[in-house]
Amino acid sequence: MNLKLHIWRQKNNKANGAFEQYAVSDISEDMSFLEMLDVLNEDLIVEGKDPVAFDHDCREGICGACSMTINGNPHGPEKATTACQLHMRKFKDGQEVYIEPFRNKSFPVIRDLVVNRSALDRIIESGGYISVKTGSAPDANDIAVAKSKADVAMDAAACIGCGACVAACPNGAAMLFTSAKLKHLNVLPQGQAEKKKRTLAMVDQMDKEGFGSCTNHYECEAACPKSISVEFISEMNFEYAKARATAYRD
Amino acid sequence: MLGFLKSSILSKFVVAITGLLMVGFIIGHTLGNLLIYAGPEAINTYAVGLKDIGGVVWAMRIVLIISLILHVIATINLVRHNRKVAGNYKVTNHKAATFSSKFMAYAGLTILFFVLYHLAHFTFGVVDANAFSMEATLDNGRVVHDVYSMVVLGFRNVIVSLFYIIAVVFLGFHLKHGIHSMFQSLGIHGKKFTPMIQKVAALVSFVIVISLISIPISIMLGIVGGQV
Amino acid sequence: MSTLEGLHVIGEANFSDHGANRLGASALMQGLADGYFVLPYTIGNYLAKAELKKIDADTPECKATVKEVEDKINKLINVNGTKTPSYFHRKLGKLMWDKVGMARNEAGLKHALEEIPKIREEFWKDVKISGTGAEYNISLEKASRVADFLEFAEIMAYDALDRDESAGAHFREEHQTPDGEAKRNDDDYRYVAAWEYKGVGQRPELHKEQLEFENVKLAVRSYK
Ligand code: HEM
Ligand code: SF4
Ligand code: FES
Repeated sequence: MNLKLHIWRQKNNKANGAFEQYAVSDISEDMSFLEMLDVLNEDLIVEGKDPVAFDHDCREGICGACSMTINGNPHGPEKATTACQLHMRKFKDGQEVYIEPFRNKSFPVIRDLVVNRSALDRIIESGGYISVKTGSAPDANDIAVAKSKADVAMDAAACIGCGACVAACPNGAAMLFTSAKLKHLNVLPQGQAEKKKRTLAMVDQMDKEGFGSCTNHYECEAACPKSISVEFISEMNFEYAKARATAYRD
Repeated sequence: MLGFLKSSILSKFVVAITGLLMVGFIIGHTLGNLLIYAGPEAINTYAVGLKDIGGVVWAMRIVLIISLILHVIATINLVRHNRKVAGNYKVTNHKAATFSSKFMAYAGLTILFFVLYHLAHFTFGVVDANAFSMEATLDNGRVVHDVYSMVVLGFRNVIVSLFYIIAVVFLGFHLKHGIHSMFQSLGIHGKKFTPMIQKVAALVSFVIVISLISIPISIMLGIVGGQV
Repeated sequence: MSTLEGLHVIGEANFSDHGANRLGASALMQGLADGYFVLPYTIGNYLAKAELKKIDADTPECKATVKEVEDKINKLINVNGTKTPSYFHRKLGKLMWDKVGMARNEAGLKHALEEIPKIREEFWKDVKISGTGAEYNISLEKASRVADFLEFAEIMAYDALDRDESAGAHFREEHQTPDGEAKRNDDDYRYVAAWEYKGVGQRPELHKEQLEFENVKLAVRSYK
């Protein structure tokens, strides 16, 4: 199949970016979207031009690196699918495709489609540690975890930190990500000791990074390759307000 | 007092709680307004009844005015910040956002101007002093402010009615998203509850809109207030 | 903890329970078990007590490493040939897949050991990288990785050739039972091979770490 690509090219954070047009031909519909870009890049390098920079690592939907917005959708049109897992058969021969970086004030463009998502790392970092007993190995069934809680923690832990929720949000909020990371530990017995501290620290860091504020469009949930639920945002709101209201006691 | 503005989540809480108070008011206000269909006696009695319990009404008014002010300050602050940080795409393709959810700020601003005008018109009487100073005599002989005639005369003006109708329709969109949104913001969410409250929000907004716009339409068609 | 202070070998990289071959599920289980039982006792315990001092970028070791990397980048950029890094990646990958895959044999491995240096030589003569080393550069990044692969692939082939038995995912076609199962040679190869890098194109040096079995007896694992 043949495609007409409009790709955002930006040399670095300080340069102005613009769209450039590329035609790719003989693309197999079994290729992934990233493999299609690989084909384009091979040609560009041979022609002596700069290849299109894009982030990728695992190419199997688990690392969260392949950030790009395809025709207005972070990770592309397919539901619950990362760009690296997106097949070209989802596109039509001759289709025009706009490829843009994940856009948000807190995700500065490094080059072309590559953005710096360290703000998300700093949110995780601000959450700190959970207390464990060091010095000896714990017993296997020391801490009982109810199946229902383990399931919720697992659902929340499915977040791969890709930032698609931020990129999709019309408000530029990072609440789906932050709430998933909070929920993952807050629901487990191991996460109880530092729960309040963690909730306050991570949400405050999220605000400090300059992310926007949720108005419940739910675009994040629709864009999330791991189908993280906006339920977590609702719970985070409550937990945060509760933690703030009782913070004076500590 | 405005310290909450620094926190995205606390701002959301303020928007939701003030929104909730205003929703309560709108529902009560709509029910009261519908008394116009029961004739001058009913609505004028209701209006003077509100005046008679003055203290409570004033307390409610103060709460509502503070709510409105906080709601506006918080939302304007959020919207301005969000606009600044959110990505600006060449192509957007929303999958979940609705017309109502994207229209919140525009609907809100229209409502704000409408509320100011509405208060000037029917509460402070600065729009049409003549209509505002009319009096009516109740069945029990008491002479009171003639709310019925004031409303009928007000809505005979096509421009006034049109502005009212547009504002109310916008209010409907604002509430369709807002009534569900405030629960989510306050931490009340559920796999069954959220879809349910989304439907309830749509239904309540629809009923409010139909109830409120039926009044100017009935007046313009002469179904209500023909004798004034 | 490894022999280096503060360097822990853990999770997928730890092979205490499963032998030296990492196959998907055993690596995953090792990661999970280590995460729960071993981490608090090791890294957690280390961090709880460690005094982590800032590392100075002005040490001679640090400076030497920076220079080494810079030299390598300059060398790569200056080749300015005609073929993309991916071209070499594929060429090497195909050779490894065919000759140094799960089933390998002496002839194939010897062939690979002849071919890998040729690909490496061609790479360093004819690779084409766009842009410079002073910017975010994906073709340079890929080329650096391929340059590493070209050295590491050779060690893998040396090791596979040297271990004249079949064991786990190392299946030497010469050593199999009549029904196609791997045939080990515990007398000669009961050791972990640690290869010491001696420079590009030099034969790495083999260090043997003998395996002692005190409590369990060596046996043949059967998947039947
Ligand atoms: C009678 C008047 C009003 C009522 C009943 C009302 C009600 C609501 C409700 C229930 C919400 C949802 C709260 C939440 O999700 O936390 C909301 C949100 C919002 N309101 Fe109002 N509002 C009114 C007036 C206004 C005015 C005058 C403005 C603008 C200046 C405004 C702007 C907004 C905005 C931008 C939001 C979005 C926040 C969100 O979606 O969460 N509203 N409103
Ligand atoms: S919540 Fe979903 S979209 Fe957001 S970072 Fe996690 S995986 Fe990505
Ligand atoms: S490259 Fe890892 S998730 Fe796409």
